[in-house]
Amino acid sequence: MSKTRLRIAGGVVYDPANDGGADGGIRDVCIEDGRIVAELPRDAPKLDARGMVVMAGGVDIHSHIAGSSVNQGRRLLPEEHAADPAPAPPLADPDAIPRSGTGGTIPTTFTTGYRYAALGYTTAMEAAVAPLAARQAHAELDDTPIIDAGLFTLLGNDDYLLRQIAAGEAARARDYAAWVLSAAGGYAIKIVNPGGVERWKAGGRNVTGLDDAVGSGAVTPRRILETLADAANALELPHPVHIHCNNLGQAGNATTTLETMRALAGRRAHFTHLQFHSYGGERGKSWKSAAKEVIEHVNAHPEVSVDVGQVMFGPATTLTADAPVEYLLHASSGRRWVNVDVELETGCGIVPYSYKEQAAVASLQWAVGLELFLLAKDPWRVVLSTDHPNGGSFLSYPELIRLLMDRSHRDECLKRVNQKLVAGSALADGLAREYTLSEIATVTRAAPARLLGLKHKGHLGVGADADVTVYANDADRAKMFSTPRHVIKGGVLVVEEGQLRRAPTGRRLRVQPGYDRAVTRDLKRWFDGYACVSFENYPAAELGE
Amino acid sequence: MTKRVVEHATCLGCGCACDDITVVVDGDRIVEARNSCALGRAWFADGSVPRETRAGGKPVAPDVALGDAAKLLARAERPLVYLAPDISCETQRAAVAIADRLGALLDSPTGEIAAGILASQRRGRAGATLGEIRQRADLVVFWGVDPADRYPRYASRYAVDPAGLQAPDGRKSRRVVAVDVGPSRGAADADERVAIAPEHEVDALALMRAVVLGRAIGEDAVARVATGLATRMLHARYVALVHDAEPSPHGSPLHADRTEALIALAQALNGPARCALSSLRAGGNRSGADAVATWQTGFPFAVDFAGGYPRYRPHAGAAVLLARREIDVALLVGSPAGVPQAVAAALGQVTTIAIGPRASAAPFRPTVAIDTGVAGIHEGGTAFRMDDLALPLRPALSGPAVAADVVRALAACLMKGRS
Repeated sequence: MSKTRLRIAGGVVYDPANDGGADGGIRDVCIEDGRIVAELPRDAPKLDARGMVVMAGGVDIHSHIAGSSVNQGRRLLPEEHAADPAPAPPLADPDAIPRSGTGGTIPTTFTTGYRYAALGYTTAMEAAVAPLAARQAHAELDDTPIIDAGLFTLLGNDDYLLRQIAAGEAARARDYAAWVLSAAGGYAIKIVNPGGVERWKAGGRNVTGLDDAVGSGAVTPRRILETLADAANALELPHPVHIHCNNLGQAGNATTTLETMRALAGRRAHFTHLQFHSYGGERGKSWKSAAKEVIEHVNAHPEVSVDVGQVMFGPATTLTADAPVEYLLHASSGRRWVNVDVELETGCGIVPYSYKEQAAVASLQWAVGLELFLLAKDPWRVVLSTDHPNGGSFLSYPELIRLLMDRSHRDECLKRVNQKLVAGSALADGLAREYTLSEIATVTRAAPARLLGLKHKGHLGVGADADVTVYANDADRAKMFSTPRHVIKGGVLVVEEGQLRRAPTGRRLRVQPGYDRAVTRDLKRWFDGYACVSFENYPAAELGE
Repeated sequence: MTKRVVEHATCLGCGCACDDITVVVDGDRIVEARNSCALGRAWFADGSVPRETRAGGKPVAPDVALGDAAKLLARAERPLVYLAPDISCETQRAAVAIADRLGALLDSPTGEIAAGILASQRRGRAGATLGEIRQRADLVVFWGVDPADRYPRYASRYAVDPAGLQAPDGRKSRRVVAVDVGPSRGAADADERVAIAPEHEVDALALMRAVVLGRAIGEDAVARVATGLATRMLHARYVALVHDAEPSPHGSPLHADRTEALIALAQALNGPARCALSSLRAGGNRSGADAVATWQTGFPFAVDFAGGYPRYRPHAGAAVLLARREIDVALLVGSPAGVPQAVAAALGQVTTIAIGPRASAAPFRPTVAIDTGVAGIHEGGTAFRMDDLALPLRPALSGPAVAADVVRALAACLMKGRS
């Protein structure tokens, strides 16, 4: 199949970035040299899409697919891998070695690329990479075919940054953030439980709120958030700070979440897996949904964007830099547990898990995620994720889409779950909303691409990357979205008639913001004093000019 | 006058992977490896390696050797791909692709320490990167290991001597306890020594865990030792519990349950205190082989592709299948000198293709041997420190052939032969 030209003919096209959210209209989508073009000669190769639904390739704004913590998780799951073998696909390219692998909640690298593509996703962001571990994450992404991918670089518990904040050196903190992003080959700044991971490493305790002291009294979660949000905006990064708030998974944490949003009022910021941060009640005593309060704040503040982090029933692996949270989960569940303290930077915790309909808290988490989706006013700022594999695998997105599009199905599911904590929630009171196909196209590709600042992705306008997914229109939306008929990545037909046939190499997405070189002299002194890796060996990527 | 220096080179002489080595080259010989320990100096040596390509015992052109190797592998009924030390992750990745393509058994020296790996898969781990131990540890317990023997700079770079954020006075900020388990002695430079008989080791660890969990234990001699040690750990802020994950040099096999007991103790200490279990691994990028196998197959070693996808065979790895004479052709990638004795001896009984440093000098006389450089001396790329941290390699010399290129060329030959 030629990479050069293709006309996707006669499909119903949903392109909310360009059609204003209109119901799909029938039109051709033309591709030339990996890009969308306005028109092609009549004799260009044609893909018959009549009766089918055409969207841009999916864009996952938050997923854990590569890097040292992901691989620690893989190593911990031999039984999941044994249960989900993934033989090599029959690729059409005679030179490519088709690769077998294994699946489960953390598939192997090749299988991850193949499965994302087979799901119609062509871009994914690995959401948490310690700068020190970036070299491994890039190597794993090199073995993850098809999808374009970027890394979010973990900051906010790193000792060098905390020292700059303690000293009131905001400009140096910004220069350092820019240098680290370049050195790690990162795409955005990720903050995980600001200050809390450092406190866990230093003495086994977490922070509880925005104004707890982290070492020096001048350093608090609030100061860390402000410093990094300002840095990201001053550096004009394509994606603002990507924030995993303090107190993840705790009853009553919506207070902290709302306080964090207010602390950053007026600044662009993205709040990730909001479901895990939208609980009412009181820690150790009671749980309830606080989705309504949280999403109403989001609705009213256009500078705020979120992804939901939906919990789906079934196996999951909780995997995060928020090591103190995983300690609590291990202590309360007795499950297998990995903790790795990462020198001078961050932490890592992993606990394999399972969300069960019979369980009260899991049912509440499921309901809270759906409430966030269904009460959101602006699909451009509230996008789809399961925080793969934390809330569930990316393979559960089609079922999640069905829950959003099909109220009767959702109500049936609601009846089956444990009612103890769900009773009295907005979802139990009845939420009639059903997402349209255009809204699904928004929350799964157009909006994540826009929030990431990926101008060439998430839409089908002229000049966009030729990442296109063609679905057979099926009333069963789970079925429709789990088995696209055709997927085109960068102009290459990777899924043809539902079969993965080609596996081109994906591109790496990264930023190289400018910074004052003076910061590197100070950093070199810091490395000489404390680090266990040479300053010269630290960067995983070219630093550029 | 012609001396060159390569700074910030990473040494793979042991799993410490010290990346502060200055290699001095005179002509085509290494004359100095500054900052390195005795083990590191021996590993770098003068950098000379054989540069042969042999097939059927005779020197041949590289293309001929590759062609022969591809033919042997394509005809194999039960091939083995073995990841020996001294190759980069890039070479390991290419070699796993060949195992996948061939439906081979994939294994590495990690098979020698299967019990410890399996324990970490059952329990998880409480760990830290080595630099974090430097920053935090105020109590360092060397459990049956003196790092001076096989990990010479571990104490000076990471665990004991250097100043860290929470150990501002370095050695003086820390208390060091040596636990002698039979002939496996703890560190010589200790503030305190405790002896435990090997037959009591696993019991003692279980008792220590019971104390940490707040349970009353008995009064016998083992219980007294366990109570004393556990109490000291409970009163520490951050404990580094250090053990040797590699096979014992004393010939006394480790108790299969030892690692699991150490992991469980380290996990239990988190909560009342902080604790990281530091598992010492040998060099040559062994940890990298585990990481690469895991990300490509889902399993760290002993992966069988015979069914068309990876299956975990931790109890039927290379040593077992070779002993059973099930393997007919073996592809060894890496240094033959780093292959465990049992596997190396059995390789003499089968048709073997060896690609790696000093392959032509392998004692098991490979049918095809292609000498390459040593990763980190003649080849760049990536290698893992024992704590799973990936580091860049800075070669000081050029070698006979680049292992990653040779393995990729072999894969291309195999793909060509497919149609």
